[in-house]
Amino acid sequence: MPLSAFEALKVLIVEDNQHMRVLLRSLLNSIGIREIHEAGNGVAALDVLKELKCDLVLSDLAMKPMDGLEFTREIRLSKRSINPFMPIIMITGHTEKHRVEAARDAGVTEFLAKPITPHSLYSRLAEIVERPRAFVRSESYFGPDRRRKALEHYAGPWRRHDDFQDLAIQ
Amino acid sequence: MKKKAQIIAPELYPQMVSKSDAAKISRALRASETLAKGTQVVQDVGAQLREGVRDYVRELEEAIGDHKITAAKAHEIRGFAETVGLKATGRIADGLCRYFEEIEKLGAEPDTAVVALHISAIVRAAHAEDEASRMSDVVVKELAALVQHKLSETKAHLES
Repeated sequence: MPLSAFEALKVLIVEDNQHMRVLLRSLLNSIGIREIHEAGNGVAALDVLKELKCDLVLSDLAMKPMDGLEFTREIRLSKRSINPFMPIIMITGHTEKHRVEAARDAGVTEFLAKPITPHSLYSRLAEIVERPRAFVRSESYFGPDRRRKALEHYAGPWRRHDDFQDLAIQ
Repeated sequence: MKKKAQIIAPELYPQMVSKSDAAKISRALRASETLAKGTQVVQDVGAQLREGVRDYVRELEEAIGDHKITAAKAHEIRGFAETVGLKATGRIADGLCRYFEEIEKLGAEPDTAVVALHISAIVRAAHAEDEASRMSDVVVKELAALVQHKLSETKAHLES
């Protein structure tokens, strides 16, 4: 059973809605993930991560006192972060463009719009497993590569060490 | 001049699963049996979660007049009502959330009657036996048309 590789994973659900936590936990259990931890907001989640190295985070966006964006930035940028490369799936009903862009710029790995379905959740997990993203470290950003595709007629500016290398390979 | 960004390839940081397992796991996650199992899980916890949605609906009803709380509760309802089988409830809540988002963009106040009609429809849908009936479809469409009309009216008013 290929999904047995999931049995060893540790997942953290960060969500203030208890019913949503039940739903996510059940869906993760159904694919073999056994070790699932929960937190009701970003602050509580950071406390969990002080003690525990997780392999994946599913986080809500709108929470108090710390929302999903601030939590993501803490994971990616804080010197105290155990794993700044940890995949983070942001799950939210707020799907306006500016919010999606804010989540992307905070460093989330995948964005999942509510209402979620087994298909939408498993597809995001498959995406992370199948096509792990390169990370980018710049003066203003650290997180998964935000360029999902190469723009054929992009004229620059070229801001990366390997941009010309890439062009040379093409 | 800004420094160039550093790229860290996936091979250079720890992955969730090993490269050798990745393709197999990915296929398994997309397999119809896995999806069927997930759908079954949602059905199994559905009754409990539908009660959760109805709790939010009660809170929504109690919040009439307070647009901030109304928007927050409608947002929670749209978040998972559809997932647990309350499709019409979720769609009407989605319509209400979109109305709040659009009206906020315009910098105007929500129309109390539009909000009240949505809340009333959400309450009825969440407790209806035939929640996802054709009648619910009609209600969803009628409310969407009302929202469009009211938004156009608000825009025209703001431009005049």
